[in-house]
Amino acid sequence: MTETFSTLVKELQAIVGEKNATDDRAICTSYSRDQHWHFVPAKNPACVVRPGTKEEVRSVLMLANTHKIPVIPYSTGINVRGLTIPVHDGSILLDLSRMNRIVEINPEMKTATVEPGVTFGMLLEQTRKHKLRPAFPDAPLTVSVLVNYYLRGIYQTSATDGHDHTISYEMILPNGETLKTGSRALSEMPYFRYGVGPDFAGMFGAHPGTCGVVTELTAKLYRLYDNRKEYFIGFDDVGTPTEFIYNLMHDELAASIRLVDNQSWLEGIFGTFDYAYDKLPKFVVCVLVEGVDGIFDAKDKLVRKYMHESGGQILELPAEFAQTFEDESLGGAEKSCMVFGLPGKGNYHCIGLYGPLTQAAKYYEVHEKTALEVGIPKDHIHFYIDPIYSFHGQLCYFELDVFYDGSDSGFGEKLRNYNEKQFHRLLELGIYGWFRPYAGIIEPTAERIGYLAEVWKKFLRVLDPNEIMNRGKLF
Amino acid sequence: MEQEREEEILSAIHHCVKCKLCSIASFHPNAKWLPLCPSGQYYGYQAFYAPGKMEIFRAILEGEITEPSKGLLNSVYACTVCGACYEKCKQITNVELGAPELFEEMRHELASRGWSLDVHKSIAELIKETKNAYGEKYEYKVETTDQNADVIYYIGCTARYRVPEIADAMLEIFDKLGLKYQVMGEEWCCGSVLFRTGQVEAAKELVAHNVEEIRNSGAKTVVFTCPGCMKTFEKDYPDMGVELVHSTQFLTRLGNINLKKEDLKAAYHDPCHLGRDLGIYEEPRVVLSEVADIKTMKREKEQAWCCGSGGGVKSAFDDFALWSATERLKEAKEAGADALVSACPFCKRNLKEAAENEELEVYDVVELVNRCLEG
Repeated sequence: MTETFSTLVKELQAIVGEKNATDDRAICTSYSRDQHWHFVPAKNPACVVRPGTKEEVRSVLMLANTHKIPVIPYSTGINVRGLTIPVHDGSILLDLSRMNRIVEINPEMKTATVEPGVTFGMLLEQTRKHKLRPAFPDAPLTVSVLVNYYLRGIYQTSATDGHDHTISYEMILPNGETLKTGSRALSEMPYFRYGVGPDFAGMFGAHPGTCGVVTELTAKLYRLYDNRKEYFIGFDDVGTPTEFIYNLMHDELAASIRLVDNQSWLEGIFGTFDYAYDKLPKFVVCVLVEGVDGIFDAKDKLVRKYMHESGGQILELPAEFAQTFEDESLGGAEKSCMVFGLPGKGNYHCIGLYGPLTQAAKYYEVHEKTALEVGIPKDHIHFYIDPIYSFHGQLCYFELDVFYDGSDSGFGEKLRNYNEKQFHRLLELGIYGWFRPYAGIIEPTAERIGYLAEVWKKFLRVLDPNEIMNRGKLF
Repeated sequence: MEQEREEEILSAIHHCVKCKLCSIASFHPNAKWLPLCPSGQYYGYQAFYAPGKMEIFRAILEGEITEPSKGLLNSVYACTVCGACYEKCKQITNVELGAPELFEEMRHELASRGWSLDVHKSIAELIKETKNAYGEKYEYKVETTDQNADVIYYIGCTARYRVPEIADAMLEIFDKLGLKYQVMGEEWCCGSVLFRTGQVEAAKELVAHNVEEIRNSGAKTVVFTCPGCMKTFEKDYPDMGVELVHSTQFLTRLGNINLKKEDLKAAYHDPCHLGRDLGIYEEPRVVLSEVADIKTMKREKEQAWCCGSGGGVKSAFDDFALWSATERLKEAKEAGADALVSACPFCKRNLKEAAENEELEVYDVVELVNRCLEG
């Protein structure tokens, strides 16, 4: 560590307290790698800082900006795409996990306002008292609510929740200014996304790095209903169930609709490794219906009608599977993480993308084709669809999964080859966008977006002229 | 470290996807956010959670970390190796190598490089000199030992020298029930603290001595009030052809011993070594239910919150140890208990110290049994 940097660590300690900033090698190493390490190489930050307040965040950012030091915001520490792994030497890792206050739960407004360290589990514990819940990603319920929403919607486990859960937020910029989006800018009421002028909440989200540090975010909450019913319908291919999914989405009938293959996510949805999954049809559509009394009955009746017309096999399964599916869909993913326990395949690689349901079979076809081409065995190829209300554009989240043994460096190489081919093939085939604009996937994409890339670059330069906000991920 | 073992360890580390579900108790049964990792919860940095520690171990094995920084020593040793992270992880994965085993291996690797904490080195010196972990030079006197008895009561350093009320209670139970027992003529420390802090070589002499003493005693059963000692005998000692049982197992087997139940609301704290390491959850509850009304805490059995004292933490990071214990006391009070009862001298010592200004009694289960047993 250079003497200059040592001095800087002392300055950081003066801001956040001695115990909350360190350049200790071992401590920094613990932040050096996420599970995406075959694709984003490990790199230590030069120091880790753990602010406890907005003012501390502001002071750290201003100091970093003065010295032109890259800053990587980090919330609860669960990342799967290298988003918090430093690109440059001498970076500050800004660990925001101490900022874990639920600022407000407003049942009347159906909103929650949270700090970055609040996890989905923490939030649900409080919101369920009001029969409300957040929209959940199919990610461990240890992940940050704020970051998942801010990074661009989520592929929620409940289709009815739609795509955008962010209402407004406040962000501290590298120059120390606080920027408030939506109605927050005008009043103490942070409950409306579209305040004065452009939709800045959208403009600041979904960058490969960030534009600043979001310190507080107001999000939508959704109702928890007492009436629920689950169905599981098996299919032998991806194409056949699309009409069934379309009908459910078009008529807005089901809370959760998830098409998964029988060898990966289904194990988590059912909550057990100990079941003869290979005896089930290759793809299973899991459907959860909910609602208030009369509406629930009507929905359920229609769902059953479409189910019988679907051409699929209605599966009779143990009752506890339905309960786990319900818990995971409306209460956050825990057992779903059993995909990390698939024998010999516990590591996770996926390309997550948004596209229309009409392309489902093609996405699966190209996934399988490319994977086989680069030597990935067939039994490592998995697939996942979550349709999203209100279904304009037949919007779905698709996940092209490969579960593998991360300690096998040869497999890592195959996956890198897979990515190189697949990113281009999917762009050629036509997608709406990537799930996350992470390193590796965003570069070939930026080449295709014309003048938007120039504007994007200029936009970032205005907000962050010294390029401290982890910019190396893209421009 | 042998290459094959190193590869096994690195493979296990690579399989950690860092979901951090290991840091909370199972959420869905109660929809409660309940932390499980005392070290991570107290210190906050990623290095103090299991995924961060694994990353540090990887960096050591791959030669990226070549010096014992303060952060390295703190993150590695300010962990009670309670195993809660592993219990949670194995519910949702097929993890092949448990975190406690991994972290003890890590400590062994550090110790072999001379990267131990000074306080742990001092304990090793004390043991070498006095054969007990506290460096005490006096003997805990036991007058009623019968050298022909089939049962040996292995007392352990903590019950001999820090919480003798546990040893006293156990011995009184033997006497009140008219059971013959012996204690070792020369009981040496079992070596637990050395194994748990990676100083494996220093424990060999202790193991050899205790094994010889037990073999020579002719006893068929060794009874422990200390789960740490029992775990060490189970895991780190050679098979001596004797049965190893915890006091609560021993008492359960006796059947009805006419205990007079007290008007006491008691929460049971699962000691990590007894529960997660040895799988003994039911017998302590059976025994406790005979003498008190059990109040259930939110985190129990496989997902019990550690008392904070194990793995060399109490001697090196007492503030952290007491904070962990205080968290447990709060949980017991929330459960409506008047007393927090454990089955481990080390747990009792730390919990009792944390409860100094609390309106909550702290006991070992054998103390209550002794109190409720007609003499």
